[in-house]
Amino acid sequence: MTDSDDDTDMTDTATDSEADASTGEGADEQDDAEPDLPSHRAAPRSGRLDSEERQGTPYTESQVIMPTVKVVAPFAFTYGLFITFHGSGSPGGGFQGGAIMAAVVFMIAFAFGIESTRDWLANTVVVALAVGGALAFAGIGLVPVALGGAFLQYDLLPIPVLDPVKYGMEAVEVVGIAPIVSGVLMGLFFLLARGFNSDGDGFGNGSLDEDGSIDEQQRDEESIDGPDATDDAAVADGGLVGDGGHAGDGAVDTETASAGGDRR
Amino acid sequence: MTAAIALAVGSVASTAPASPVVAQVTAIEASLLAFVVLTALATALARDVLAAVIVFGAYSLGMAALYTFYRAPDVALTEAAISAGVTTVLLLLTLAKTTRIDHDAVFESVNFPAAGAAGFLFAGLLLTMDDIPAIGSPDAPIWSNPDVTQWYLTETYAQTHVENTVMAVLAAFRGFDTFGEAVVVFAGGVAALIVLHREVFA
Repeated sequence: MTDSDDDTDMTDTATDSEADASTGEGADEQDDAEPDLPSHRAAPRSGRLDSEERQGTPYTESQVIMPTVKVVAPFAFTYGLFITFHGSGSPGGGFQGGAIMAAVVFMIAFAFGIESTRDWLANTVVVALAVGGALAFAGIGLVPVALGGAFLQYDLLPIPVLDPVKYGMEAVEVVGIAPIVSGVLMGLFFLLARGFNSDGDGFGNGSLDEDGSIDEQQRDEESIDGPDATDDAAVADGGLVGDGGHAGDGAVDTETASAGGDRR
Repeated sequence: MTAAIALAVGSVASTAPASPVVAQVTAIEASLLAFVVLTALATALARDVLAAVIVFGAYSLGMAALYTFYRAPDVALTEAAISAGVTTVLLLLTLAKTTRIDHDAVFESVNFPAAGAAGFLFAGLLLTMDDIPAIGSPDAPIWSNPDVTQWYLTETYAQTHVENTVMAVLAAFRGFDTFGEAVVVFAGGVAALIVLHREVFA
């Protein structure tokens, strides 16, 4: 019981009613599920910064915030695009515009729940923004090198009709810096919302092969071997979290698995 | 955070054409400076962490307005978006994962050694005020020197065909540095993944 009391303290910071509502069911389920927890999950329960039980982000549907965000978000996003695209002629640029566009996602997440925003904006999108931006910046820099010039020597860029210097700089801002900044900021947001991963013994829970690739086989076996234990734990999480934290976890797991398959 | 951005835009739009010398402190400037100093003190002294984070966001908003007032709109936009917006959100998100303690006192009791050290630093900085040129002074070295500032101002459009000198310096003249900075931002995201033991962002 001390655990469940402790947990509701968390949600108390934002919403009293939801915490009260979840205390009843959460406490019952948790008492059943507690003994089934694997040892490595049970230990961090007392820790304040543990993620799995704590990641239920306090969220209430607000009839004021949701419509406001619905109205404001398109304008703020357009403003971010404007700042990004008009960096050459007015204050701003990729960094500021990317930050504003990421802030729009934060706004949506605060209004409609972080977990549902996480599901809506898949990990693939966030990673594609950050990695694609970095690759695009490097690519734009390296094209002049391939043509015999210096890194980022814009006047050698093979851009037809348009002025290659001006539009080369615009390309760096729009497809390079802005996606990196917005992708990384969104990633930090979702990472912080989920918190520290205390599962397993380190990064990823998989061991590294000799060739440096992550051993997916071992992780797959783990997840197949222990369905009962993980499911019970997940039920306990769902009861405490109350707004679909478990669904988010499931989505991430399948994504990780499919990404591993692609890699192999 | 939207309010911060909107206010920054409003300030950009209403920035007056450059006057050569700003000798007197105007009312807007004085009130902005007072606001920034008060919010900074409140951030340091607030007993409740949530209150400190909120006041810190207000401080960043004041700094953004101040940068706009001093005609550095690029810096103001960054301050408004990153410091007032994103940082506040990330701090709030982190706070939501901790327990909140109810305090009776609004303000922390002052730590006198720390306040003394800060006071000495402040006094030392005040001593240098005499040698700093007035804001907007045409004789200020940062403005009048013909080899750097004036060179960029005269050559930017001829060489890069863009109007915004700040962006021209960032993306063209110092493009390789900016590439390094962009990679640092990317590496920051990867480092956060490693520190939090996660494989996926979302």
